Amino acid sequence: MANEFAGSGGLAGTTLRINLTTGEIKKYPTDRKLMREWFGGRGVVAKILYDEVPRDADPFGPENLFIMSAGVMSGCFIPAGAKIGFGSISPLTNGHGDSNMGGHLGPALKFAGYDLVIMSGIAPKPTYLYIDDGTVELRDATRYWGLGSLECEPAMKKDLGEDFEIATIGPAGENGIRFSCITHDFGRQAGRTGQGAVMGSKKLKAIAIRGTGSLKVHDLDKLTEHVTAIIQRTKAHPNMVPWQKYGTSFFVGWSNNNAVLPTRNFQTTYFEDAEAIDGPALVEKCLITHKACFGCWMNCGKYTKAVLPGKETVYLEGPEYETGALCGSNLGMTEINQVCYLNWLMDNVGMDTMSGGGVVAFGMECFQRGLITTDDLEGHTLNWGSVEDAEHFVDMIVHRRGIGEYFAGGTKRAAEKIGRGSEKFAMQVKGQEMSGYDGRYAPGMMLAYMTCDIGAHHNRAWTITIDMAEGQDTIEGRANVVIYMQHIRPLFDCWCICRLFWGELDIEPEEIVEALNYITWWNIDVAEALKTSDKIWNLVRCLYLERNQANGRTFDYPPARAWEDKIPSGPNAGKGLSWEQVEGMLDDYYACRGWDNNGNPSREVLHDLKLDFAADNLEKIGLLGKPLPNGIPAVRGQRYKAKAF
Amino acid sequence: MVVFLKAGGQLREKLKPDVDHYTRKVKIDGEKTVAEILKDISLDPAYVALIHVDGKVKDLSYKPSDGQTITLQPPVSGG
Repeated sequence: MANEFAGSGGLAGTTLRINLTTGEIKKYPTDRKLMREWFGGRGVVAKILYDEVPRDADPFGPENLFIMSAGVMSGCFIPAGAKIGFGSISPLTNGHGDSNMGGHLGPALKFAGYDLVIMSGIAPKPTYLYIDDGTVELRDATRYWGLGSLECEPAMKKDLGEDFEIATIGPAGENGIRFSCITHDFGRQAGRTGQGAVMGSKKLKAIAIRGTGSLKVHDLDKLTEHVTAIIQRTKAHPNMVPWQKYGTSFFVGWSNNNAVLPTRNFQTTYFEDAEAIDGPALVEKCLITHKACFGCWMNCGKYTKAVLPGKETVYLEGPEYETGALCGSNLGMTEINQVCYLNWLMDNVGMDTMSGGGVVAFGMECFQRGLITTDDLEGHTLNWGSVEDAEHFVDMIVHRRGIGEYFAGGTKRAAEKIGRGSEKFAMQVKGQEMSGYDGRYAPGMMLAYMTCDIGAHHNRAWTITIDMAEGQDTIEGRANVVIYMQHIRPLFDCWCICRLFWGELDIEPEEIVEALNYITWWNIDVAEALKTSDKIWNLVRCLYLERNQANGRTFDYPPARAWEDKIPSGPNAGKGLSWEQVEGMLDDYYACRGWDNNGNPSREVLHDLKLDFAADNLEKIGLLGKPLPNGIPAVRGQRYKAKAF
Repeated sequence: MVVFLKAGGQLREKLKPDVDHYTRKVKIDGEKTVAEILKDISLDPAYVALIHVDGKVKDLSYKPSDGQTITLQPPVSGG
């Protein structure tokens, strides 16, 4: 490591600030106080975006920042300490956006000596960020511009060396498609909130990192003892073998059996051909080998191939569950090779398979209902289950041809252009497309989508089994459970470790925090961790309100299908949410958060979280929540009595 | 005869292990399907995402033999 700022406590030591417009690159010692108070990763991204990006800044403009943060645990001796977070004002939601990926990029950044990279401006020509330990340069990427993500990575490795870790965007990001992703390690994505589109707007095609240093932790002996015990225990865990064999792909069948599997743009929740796109079909027909991130022996990644008549065989990582659902049943695909092919297609053009699946499904339903026709589609159809139709439509979107321009902004913007009632089935919240679970008969899950800080996304809270256990006809008790999850799950995105490893193998939050205390100098407990996560959540909410200038409740509704359409078929036929339940869940949620009934944080709760500056800012624009008649809850969120992590 | 049910994650508490941290020993009279065994111990199969026996996927109609271990995989708790 050739950096002048020595790190410790899990930190590499150096922060980079890069002005892409001028090419200026500055190195600073990483702000340890900022890291401690905001927990690194997502938390630090939230604070920097709040402090530094003007409220009226265009997400595609030079004032927006593009931030990489590898947190305090990534790269350390900790299971799956492999994550890196990306953040910017999201072009999809116009609020705080963050997304993270596994693979090897996060550890590489830390090993090169950097905790944070904060980029502003717009490069004058296609550029890539080159980091080789102490050497940091902006290099010409003209020869890579236009390449697909899966083509660009090997091209750069050939030019730079196999030991560089590469993250790229594809043509979707270059062309400002608002749900573009960042791809690394041939199939790991930071998929959500359009971080790839922000890279594209900055003419930043790729990031290449080689790091050869190491990290210092607070107490290596205790960390080694603690983590070794966890490793020994989890090796014998009964979940390990199925996880290693199928990854998350096996979950398609379960979602279908329990009728929460989005099918044909969330029209129904049961897919008659689910078995053909489930994990066992993937392993039998498409699997080449298993794949793991840095420091992980769970190897949930599946390296596969797709063989379809008349098409070149393609190679990819995936599909994991979300892609299986959203590019599978949600598009009416009836064979696993079709799903793999669409997964490859979207990965290569650099489009989030979750939002991408949602956008194509929305287009297919518009076509089904005659809202768009072959005249809009260059003579093509857009039928359920047709890979050819989906591929052509994706190409129209990526290159913004004709009606593809409408869909380049995601389902919400497309529905605003198409109109004629299509808003009802644009399956998004705050502009971001829903994940692979239908919440109409899983009310907690619907609430999780409605209130997710980055638009509809499952990774902040997932409640399906709790909904099943507590009763799918009732909304009682969901708000506090969702809030607890919204606090504990994003901690992994702060510390930059994989949540799957911990969540699926019975590792308790106390054990994670113990490991954190051996890595860092923080000496915290779970309660403090949760409160800091609450603070981050509220700051992100304040930023959303400040940028979008309306009561928070305005933005928290799902599309009308959520309460107007009962589920038409399958085991949950006739079931669904009512409008009163949607409203009731929001009322409960806001009260449990210490927000007023407009969904605006109150001064009391912001003061409790040491966010008085944000309260002042909300007050100036008339969006500070009114005081709650009975005061704020002392603790926001409650852990579900049965383990639901 | 006796079969062993094994589960972790969200399923572990519902299984109530008694052999080790993850395993419950269940005595059954004669040949029974996994669905029938789960019903006997009041474990709702809706919470089981995958059934694994000797590294192979089985369904609820599978009839385990004496001494076999059946691994019950819970749902992914959201990726």
